[in-house]
Amino acid sequence: MSSSHSKDSLSFLGGRIPPEVESLSKNLKDVDQELFRKILKAVVSALEGKDCTEGMKSIAESSVIPQEKLCHIVAGIHRLLSEAIRIPTALLKQEIFKEDLKELRIPEDFITDFSSVVFGNHRAALEAAASQKDPHLPTLEELKWRVDVAISTSSLARALQPSVLMQMKLSDGRFQRFEVPVSKFQELRYNVALILKEMNDLEKRSILKIQN
Amino acid sequence: MTSIIKETQSIKEAVTFINAIDVNKFSRLISRIIQKLHLKGERTFSEEEEEKLQAALSLDKNALNLVLETSAFILEQAVYHNVKPASLQQQLEMVHLTPEKAEVFSQTWATTGPELVEKLKCNLFAPKKLEYVGWQLNLQMAQSSHARLKSPSAVLQLGLQGEDSEVQENVFVEFNHQQLLDLYNKVCFIMFRVCVRATFMPHHLRVFVPSIHVAFCTPSYFDLFKYLFQTSSPSLCHSFVHTFAPKTHHFPSFFQLEIVQGQLDSLT
Repeated sequence: MSSSHSKDSLSFLGGRIPPEVESLSKNLKDVDQELFRKILKAVVSALEGKDCTEGMKSIAESSVIPQEKLCHIVAGIHRLLSEAIRIPTALLKQEIFKEDLKELRIPEDFITDFSSVVFGNHRAALEAAASQKDPHLPTLEELKWRVDVAISTSSLARALQPSVLMQMKLSDGRFQRFEVPVSKFQELRYNVALILKEMNDLEKRSILKIQN
Repeated sequence: MTSIIKETQSIKEAVTFINAIDVNKFSRLISRIIQKLHLKGERTFSEEEEEKLQAALSLDKNALNLVLETSAFILEQAVYHNVKPASLQQQLEMVHLTPEKAEVFSQTWATTGPELVEKLKCNLFAPKKLEYVGWQLNLQMAQSSHARLKSPSAVLQLGLQGEDSEVQENVFVEFNHQQLLDLYNKVCFIMFRVCVRATFMPHHLRVFVPSIHVAFCTPSYFDLFKYLFQTSSPSLCHSFVHTFAPKTHHFPSFFQLEIVQGQLDSLT
């Protein structure tokens, strides 16, 4: 099916193309493939959260392109990739993505390179790195536990009361150590099962709805 | 039978005072003391009340203190050794408490004792205790980094109470489906270990069955069977198979069982 994209229809970037992306085609005119690939690699590693100052420095020093133009190019590539990664692959197909880039007058070779980043093996790593920056509550990294039976205490010669000691390591680095009496433990278990049941119901309903 | 009350000098003194108190007044006194026994560090009577008691029982300050402390001590010993009411009465008579006063002690112990023991059993100290479990189930529609998500996420709120503090500390933890499932599996496994420990009679699987704890404790009967096979006696495995296998070849979803059990618990 031929693409029904006209200049006015929405691309994956939304209604208004960001200026750094709009000017990308113009800025990339004097850039050869080798340089482009270097810049692309640096931007990708930046999106993954790695430090890329060294890479960028060497690019800036070795190329003939003025620094200001280089900045615009890096900004454009960064924006383009971030926006593309946001949308799930189910909704943004590779062909449409390529079409959109053609509309932006990006050279064909570069389109292929962009495509291989967005739809290639590397995508999962990029998505994971991006969601790290989003606000979220701490998650449970590790749960250690111990079951104790109090044989006797200062008030009871024969107590024989089991209790659970739990140590939670959270994703924000905090440790929480606390004791859970058996009755509370039952309550915890019941509640977790209840949430799981609700989640199952919710997911079943979501699947039946049409994904728009 | 070891005597739980040794007849020391101060006991002898206290006994003389106690024997002189009117029995009705004494009965009310003992009831009040046993009610507050599980609270450590709290005075049973306020200063005002103690002054009133001194007048009502015609005892001076020191005598009243002795009576209150001795009575509390007798009850604490009863709790500690978990004596039978009859035995308590006998022992108190042996330290020369009048039969009617000894009866007051044993009657109060018989009625309120078991409840007190239960309270004390649960009074285990730890820096922090889990007091409250709350949760929220969200459907995440989007994030800065992801559009069009529709991923369910649960937030678990754990209210932790410190030993000394009045304030409850809230810990919020987020889970996606898989993480929650992992948590549930862990929790079930812990529960099973608790059950096994608590009964001290691993060869009596029938003990578990009426409370259906074992059935709910693991993600599947297979896992449970594997665990039993690895850690306990062959007879336990045999009883297990005998109990569960003939009943059903189709293992119901353990969530369904869990919810039903929870509903049953709330009705009883």
